[in-house]
Amino acid sequence: MRKTREFENILDECLERLLVRGETIEQCLQHFPKLANELKPLLETALAVNQASAIQPNSEFRDRARYQFYSALQETGLKRKRPFFLWRLRWAAVMSIVLALLVASGGTVMAASGSMPDEFLYPTKLVTEQAQLLLTPSALGKAELYTRLADKRVDEIARMAGKNKPEKIEQTAQLLNKYLTKIAALTSAKGVKVGITVAPSPGETTATEKTTALAAAQALQEATAAEKTSAAETPKINEQAKSSLARSIMSDRRAKLKETMGRYASNHPARLRALLETAPPATRQALLDAIAKSEGSYKKAIESLGGD
Amino acid sequence: MQDEENLVGRARQGDQKAFAQLYEEHFNKIYRYVVVRIGDKTEAEDMTQQVFLNALQSIASFKWQGTPFAAWLFRIAHNQVVDYFRKNQKQPVALFDESLVESDSNPQRMAENSLDIEQLLSATERLTAAQREVISLRFAGGLAIAEVAKIMGKSQGAVKALQHSAIIALRKTLLSENKVLVAEDNEKD
Repeated sequence: MRKTREFENILDECLERLLVRGETIEQCLQHFPKLANELKPLLETALAVNQASAIQPNSEFRDRARYQFYSALQETGLKRKRPFFLWRLRWAAVMSIVLALLVASGGTVMAASGSMPDEFLYPTKLVTEQAQLLLTPSALGKAELYTRLADKRVDEIARMAGKNKPEKIEQTAQLLNKYLTKIAALTSAKGVKVGITVAPSPGETTATEKTTALAAAQALQEATAAEKTSAAETPKINEQAKSSLARSIMSDRRAKLKETMGRYASNHPARLRALLETAPPATRQALLDAIAKSEGSYKKAIESLGGD
Repeated sequence: MQDEENLVGRARQGDQKAFAQLYEEHFNKIYRYVVVRIGDKTEAEDMTQQVFLNALQSIASFKWQGTPFAAWLFRIAHNQVVDYFRKNQKQPVALFDESLVESDSNPQRMAENSLDIEQLLSATERLTAAQREVISLRFAGGLAIAEVAKIMGKSQGAVKALQHSAIIALRKTLLSENKVLVAEDNEKD
């Protein structure tokens, strides 16, 4: 046992030498000549594993992810700039919901997150989701959240079909359509804003804006640093950098949302249609209604995002 | 470590530049970890983005207790991976997406790496969940044993033992499938 532990420690030390300090296997084995035969095959394997797992995200994804993250960062920054009394109102509403949930159901909020429409805790889950929406400041952020919730509702419809509960399918499908209608309203040209900057419509988004968005992100960093040292000297430049970044971010987020909506518009009805083969006959009509309504709602939502 | 503590402290207080720096430092490692754990490029991209958005939302709750910031991020990623498998009821590693291989000007090297990645993901299917977690964090995530131990809630000795047994198991699997291990040594040209 002791020998094994010693060997495990030596193996780890060799891995540190290989992976962190950049030594070769041969250099490493020189430190432990008596164990060389045992260590060598393991180090070869470890090195191969290390090389195989050195995957890099592709640049398109890296840029898209960066924009989205900077967008979220910017939203957190904007939150602080809201008038204090608005925040008090917002937080008062959220705290009322949270307190009501805590008083009424103790620690059930967490348990409710995985509940289904036919379960006791489902209403708690819906209220919690509403609180999330209330806490999401931007119209586009709300639309993104509604999109994730739409995906959840489709999961729930599928589960309810399996349980032969057509009335729950109808109720959940109504929620799904409500969310899709909200997405259409929130992403219409008038609905989406970043602070005081109106998001560009798809026609206004140029290739140049997309390719220079990364530079704009860097400009934001520089602008943020500049604010600290000489806020009074360069406010105009900082605002320009932020505005440029905001436009790029919004454009990218809309494109991402549109891509997700396009995928869901195809996958969700297809998934519900597939259920028609296996679900109990009593759920068939509810499923057909859900498919028909959601297809129409998806179409409108995608159109509002500049769909083809 | 002192620098990171300072950086995290600034990020907690709403310093956007500090949080952006943390993002840039850890993004690739988190992505690699998620890809190796789930083997699905599209899902891994979404999950990696979500890890950082979750981190942004909950940075205020992060308390510096000597644990590296990376450990906290990997814990968020780990929880998302667990949720993913629970929701999809899938095996931890699926077929590998060949487009994950980084573009390389040397076609022969690309072919070797591609083969290695497939072998690795196929071989990790035969590991225990704990062994797989160690391999993902240690090699894909590039974490030290101490950090892996903190994330997994195990002693460093236990993690070293898992690392040892995982490497042995991987080697046996790869050899039994007549796979040739192509490990490029770190020698400088």
